Amino acid sequence: MTERERSWGLLAGFGSVAELHAAIVALRAAGYRHMDAYTPLPVEGLAEALGQKRSWVPLITLCGALAGGIFGFWIQWWTAVVDFPINVGGRPFNSWPAFLLVTFEMAVLVGACTAFAAMLALNRLPRLHHPLFGVGEFDLASRNRFYLAIEASDPLFDPVRTRQLLQQQAPLSLREVPP
Amino acid sequence: MPPIKPADLQKIGRQLANRHGKEYWRSLEALAEQPAFGAYLEQEFPRLAEIWNGPVDRRGFLKISAAAMALAGLAGCERQPPEYIVPYVRMPERLVPGKPLFYATTLSATGTGVGALVETHEGRPLRLSGNPAHPASLGALDVFNQAAILDLYDPDRAQTPLFGGEPAAYSRFEAEWRSRYTQLTRQRGRGLHVLTPPLHSPSLAAQLQALLAALPEARWYGHTPLERGGALAGARQAFGQPLEVRYMLERAVCIVSLEADFLGDMPGSLRYARDYSGSRGVHGKRQDSRLYVIESQVSITGAKADHRQPVPPSQLDPVARALAARLGLPVSPPVEQPVPDYWLAALARDLLTRQGQSVVIAGEQQTAAVHLLAHAMNARLGNLGRTIEYYQPPLPSPAQDLAELLAAIAAGEVETLLILGGNPVYDAPADLDLATALPQVPFAVYYGPYANETAAVCRWLVPAAHPLESWGDALAFDGSASPAQPVVQPIYGGIEPLRFLAELRGQLGAQPRQLVRDYWQSRYGDADFDAWWNGSLHDGVFAGMRASAVAAELRPDWNKALPPLPQRQGMELRFAPDPSLWDGSVANNAWLQELPRPLTKLVWGNAVLINPLDAAAAGIAQNQLVQLAHGTWSQQVPAQLQPGQPRGTVTLHLGGGRSAAGRVGNGIGVAAYRLRPAAQPWFTTVQLQPLPAEQQVITTQHHHRMQGREQQLARTTTLQELTAEAARAAEPQPSSSLYPEHRYNGYAWGMLIDIDACIGCNACVIACQSENNVPSVGPEQVRRGREMHWLRIDQYYKGGLEAPKVVFQPVPCMHCEKAPCEYVCPMHATTHSSEGVNEMTYNRCIGTRDCSQNCPYKVRRFNFLSYTGKDALTPAVIGTHNPDVTVRSRGVMEKCSYCIQRINRARMAAQKENRRIRDGEFTTACAEACPTRAIVFGDINDPAAEVSQLKSSRLNYAMLAELNTWPRTTYLPGVRNPNPEIARHEGQ
Amino acid sequence: MNGDAETDRPLARPPLLKPGQTYATATDQIAAIVLSRKTSKGWWLCFGLSSVLALGYLLGAPIIFSYGPGLFGINIPVAWGFPIVNTVWWIGIGHAGTLISAILLLLNQKWRNSINRFAEAMTIFAVIIAGTWPILHLGRPWFFYWLIPYPSTMGVWPQFRSALVWDFFAISTYMIVSIIFWYMGMVPDLGSLRDRARKRWQQVAYGLLALGWRGSVRHWQNYESAYLLLAGFAAPLVVSVHSVISLDFAISIEVGYHSTIFPPYFVAGALYSGFCMVLTILVPMRKVFGLEPYITLRHLDNAARLLLAAGLFVAHGYISEFFTEWYSGSTFERTLGWSRITGPYAFAWWITMFCNVLVVQLFWFKRVRRSPWTLWVLSLVINLGMWMERYVIVMTGPARSYTSGRWDVVWATLFDLATLIGSIGFFFMLMLLFVRFLPAISIFEVRELVREQKEEGAP
Repeated sequence: MTERERSWGLLAGFGSVAELHAAIVALRAAGYRHMDAYTPLPVEGLAEALGQKRSWVPLITLCGALAGGIFGFWIQWWTAVVDFPINVGGRPFNSWPAFLLVTFEMAVLVGACTAFAAMLALNRLPRLHHPLFGVGEFDLASRNRFYLAIEASDPLFDPVRTRQLLQQQAPLSLREVPP
Repeated sequence: MPPIKPADLQKIGRQLANRHGKEYWRSLEALAEQPAFGAYLEQEFPRLAEIWNGPVDRRGFLKISAAAMALAGLAGCERQPPEYIVPYVRMPERLVPGKPLFYATTLSATGTGVGALVETHEGRPLRLSGNPAHPASLGALDVFNQAAILDLYDPDRAQTPLFGGEPAAYSRFEAEWRSRYTQLTRQRGRGLHVLTPPLHSPSLAAQLQALLAALPEARWYGHTPLERGGALAGARQAFGQPLEVRYMLERAVCIVSLEADFLGDMPGSLRYARDYSGSRGVHGKRQDSRLYVIESQVSITGAKADHRQPVPPSQLDPVARALAARLGLPVSPPVEQPVPDYWLAALARDLLTRQGQSVVIAGEQQTAAVHLLAHAMNARLGNLGRTIEYYQPPLPSPAQDLAELLAAIAAGEVETLLILGGNPVYDAPADLDLATALPQVPFAVYYGPYANETAAVCRWLVPAAHPLESWGDALAFDGSASPAQPVVQPIYGGIEPLRFLAELRGQLGAQPRQLVRDYWQSRYGDADFDAWWNGSLHDGVFAGMRASAVAAELRPDWNKALPPLPQRQGMELRFAPDPSLWDGSVANNAWLQELPRPLTKLVWGNAVLINPLDAAAAGIAQNQLVQLAHGTWSQQVPAQLQPGQPRGTVTLHLGGGRSAAGRVGNGIGVAAYRLRPAAQPWFTTVQLQPLPAEQQVITTQHHHRMQGREQQLARTTTLQELTAEAARAAEPQPSSSLYPEHRYNGYAWGMLIDIDACIGCNACVIACQSENNVPSVGPEQVRRGREMHWLRIDQYYKGGLEAPKVVFQPVPCMHCEKAPCEYVCPMHATTHSSEGVNEMTYNRCIGTRDCSQNCPYKVRRFNFLSYTGKDALTPAVIGTHNPDVTVRSRGVMEKCSYCIQRINRARMAAQKENRRIRDGEFTTACAEACPTRAIVFGDINDPAAEVSQLKSSRLNYAMLAELNTWPRTTYLPGVRNPNPEIARHEGQ
Repeated sequence: MNGDAETDRPLARPPLLKPGQTYATATDQIAAIVLSRKTSKGWWLCFGLSSVLALGYLLGAPIIFSYGPGLFGINIPVAWGFPIVNTVWWIGIGHAGTLISAILLLLNQKWRNSINRFAEAMTIFAVIIAGTWPILHLGRPWFFYWLIPYPSTMGVWPQFRSALVWDFFAISTYMIVSIIFWYMGMVPDLGSLRDRARKRWQQVAYGLLALGWRGSVRHWQNYESAYLLLAGFAAPLVVSVHSVISLDFAISIEVGYHSTIFPPYFVAGALYSGFCMVLTILVPMRKVFGLEPYITLRHLDNAARLLLAAGLFVAHGYISEFFTEWYSGSTFERTLGWSRITGPYAFAWWITMFCNVLVVQLFWFKRVRRSPWTLWVLSLVINLGMWMERYVIVMTGPARSYTSGRWDVVWATLFDLATLIGSIGFFFMLMLLFVRFLPAISIFEVRELVREQKEEGAP
């Protein structure tokens, strides 16, 4: 339909977390799934309300940290025992206790980097432009307004009915998001 | 443009002298661009002028600038003359690139001949070590003669004859002298006066004799700052004839030194040190040998004494008389003398019980009376012929001295004056003012290696060649003769002494080699002379040419010759030759300036040594400037508080305060000569006046107590304790580790240092420096505590300030098997070799200095700045650098390597013959130079090796063993043998 | 001051923000500092001053680089000098940031929210400066990269038994992780700035830095878990870093270095000096930028309490170290202990004791803890004391090492002082740039505070 091509979805702004939460619950009840909320601060509970699955970040990070640690110890063991074994102060080639610190540091380093990278990747960032930025007042999302966006890609999405549904939540503002 | 005068050239030269790199070349081009320069070359250097007048390409320009530098007297770096820098057409016999060649020769930096071996690489002499075949060396070499190699390349050496201070051609001097010589011959030599230092070269003496014979009315004067008139006079009073003495200390088990520093500055000290330690049986094998020292200064001989009595210099005579009286000699004992009676009584008893195997040695600098008494005591003890020999002085000595020369100059009799060496203007006594007298001499010629203070006031300077550039010969302390042969062409165009003397006699173009050869042919005879001559050159000794001993009979009325007892008045000032600078003639030698003097640990300057107790009484603090005044003369010297310095006596070492020594030595220290009366050359009275100013005395050791660490650091014990087995200390055994240890199959290098044998003479320190390209860093850096010596000698005092016992402990790298330095290095820059050597990889070093922080022995040295760059005191271009040793750059750590290059050279030789390295086949530089063999190096895996044998001694211990570092360098303790009677008195 | 509202209601917890803050006010005020507020004279004055000081460092370092560490006051035996002292000191200062943002975050200490951002910035700048010292003190600094285990033609690798290699890894890891932590914390705020920005260059700059942050619930979810994880990493890291630094000394056998108490003792010292520096900057900053609404006396009070705790721990460190020296019975240790009190470096030891042990006792008094400028002065004193402590540790051991014949001391040169002072100037220079161009207070976390207070204060 032409409607659907012309819009990315609908954006409703609310004044408080409570109102936003109510709206989400209502629309989920109505069967909408392709929607997301935009808030100036992290709000616990919304993710569950939106039915989002828990984050993958911790698992990915764990793998990263382990990989870093293993590599850290391996490089020390391999250089000291295999590639360039030499008598240093009468110490054994494989002075494993001395190798643990670097192992730890490597684990932390790689782990931290993975955590950051995973966060960006899972958030599809960096993405400098997004249809929402097309909405003039969206800058309030980083100030004091709580937004709920219904995406046109939702099978139930209908410009008219969805708009009415949102109207019933008495948003401070309700805007059409151009694609 | 006016033609360049030599003066201008000198000026430019001086400007160039303190320029480097680009700047330097720019100013040199400025010089070369002046057209007048060409004209100047024309008159001085016709051959160069040809190049000049042609079109100047780069290479031509370089040649000229080289010449310009030469003219300007500043050939920056020392290369052989260009005509020798050509590739071999056929390789010279025996000269294998990369393999050193050794030549035997004789050096005489301290007045008597010492046999040396010159190590040359590709024809470049770069190291001096002792000649085992030479009686005065037996393989050891003293610091002065070792450091002589540095002078060979010293760019400050006189490089061209100077006429009134301006460069002149030698031909010009020859011309002038020829005319003067014909005139002199006409007047049978009247008006010709010759001043020489004491002669020690027979052939040179012969040349001089010939000159004086040709000009019978010429007069010959002698002068030396280290005058020893007392010795000969004493002998004359004792035996009716002047006799030289040689001691056989290996046979003496009770030695009494009347301030004879026979381990230090006495002629033959190297040999005496060996014999002395031999008599004690070094390395723990003890005999009941004992050394008593009575001295008026601090000396290493005193430091090694079993019993030492510090007395004021004037009191040695009374003490000697008291001792003589106790030995039953017809001498009236003085009413009072400083040494306690129980001490002298015990000493006398000790001597009398060991007649014929004791010896009383009087110091070179003692009065005739002391020498006379010493002779008498030796005669009384039946030592003559057993522990002492006498021989006739082999060479003629001048009849007149400096004072008489001055009188002659004042009387205007001196038309022509030849000063053959020495530096009288600098080192003459204060009351003989040569500086003003010499200019009155119409034609004064100074022949010497440097344009020094004396040259400055002479009409002519004729540059002398370095001993390593000259043919000659020399007599050792014991009267044995040995040849000196050149190993390199005169680098700066110096004139060899024999040639110069011959040419003075009008024999132009005389061949020095021929002159020596002829002289010895006349001595030896023609029968198979060639074989003997070649053999002697090869061995470095003239076989069979040793002054034979003469029977000496003590005159019955000897005691009549004793003068009335000297009275001591007030504070006394003792002059002494500097342990590192000798009489000051070597002041431009950076190695010696930076060599820590034994006991004082002074470098880069002298100081007035005063006992801390006297200092406290006089209100003098360390480093405080003190005004030393004798009559109208005075000098301001910083004070050094010196434990063991005799009360009521201050010591000032000679050799400081040079004004024309060169870029290194100028203005370092204070000239003691300016306080020195001709009548009393070795001690005088002095007034001390502390000044409200400070001048820091630069020393390399600031703390001399062991802080209750005697067992961990430098152990000492006594013979009694040893025999009582009391000294058996339970060694902390290296605790075993959870991990498998590294095995050292094949060689395992190790070192043993015998603290008892070490006399602290510094020979090892200089040997290490010259072997391993150790840079000198200069006074400022040493003051900051950044000296670079790989091997240092720590020195500790035990006991009170009056007469503390002294322990010397040489400390090289310990080469720990559990090296703390290695595991903290982030770079693998210091690691362990398969033979247990703790190795530095300079290329890997980034200079974190953690290794030094973690070294409990603090033996590592760091290049805090660029110490080998072109601005350095001993720049990297210097010819002495050992090609087998890396020259370290800024920012890298370095340390003793156990002379790894020598190990590898020996290994190559052994592998070629498919055998193991034999024990004693090679040794480290320090062990090689040690006169008492206190340092032993070898393979501790070889149970038969000397080092293993010694390490098996129960006395063998590791420094700071409790830190579990497993050092490869271990020590044997110092052992004293106190006289039980004295020990009882002193409550030991 | 009106922050003391609770004096009449002693049991009530004082507010973390001045009452009456809303999302809007918080956002606008903090953003304004960066976006619209005109650069104040005071800022320019401080900036000029610190830049001038910084010259000592920015010019001194290249000279030392080209002539060698000989320009520092070091020798054999005391081969480590100012550079190492400065390293330890700066690293210590660099600890407060991570501690506040990571550990207090994990402990859910909300009051951290308004000070963590600039504390982290402080950390980063301090660590960067600290990292330059060990390089500068090298004999051949241009080869410092050999510490990285990369396959080189030389075929040689770093020697991983060396504490210096651990250092290298610890410091660089700490630096990288801190930067990530800092930047990630700023992303939402950069978004806010982007949305508030009106000037074109600001929009572009902050737009790029914000990475297109939209604050969607999914964003926040991943963001928060990642942020917590980073905090989880940073917490042990911050403890490890100074422990590793202390191992430079502790694993060696040098007298006065070889001490098992060093790791905890160094960490405590690090927090101590870190919080000092926080106060040193916090007090003037809240005045200059009018941040009293967000950085209340409660913050200062808490910081002071932490300072007191750390100070007491450090004092304990001193005592036990001294006790061990005596109790060990080792002549070496005892000699050293005695020389610390009476020897050539005694002055430093006494200054340390005065500043770090005596002065901090004042923090028992609430009046002291709650008067900003007293805190400020005391913080300066303690900063000095902590520098002196490191000076004592580094210098006295080698100066009185095992081989008494090698005892020596060494004094600071002009370069030592110029570079040290210069580095301090450089540090403040960076801090000033930071507060001028980046949100010095975490906006979104303040919003969280606002929300909490709303809910608490809601009737």
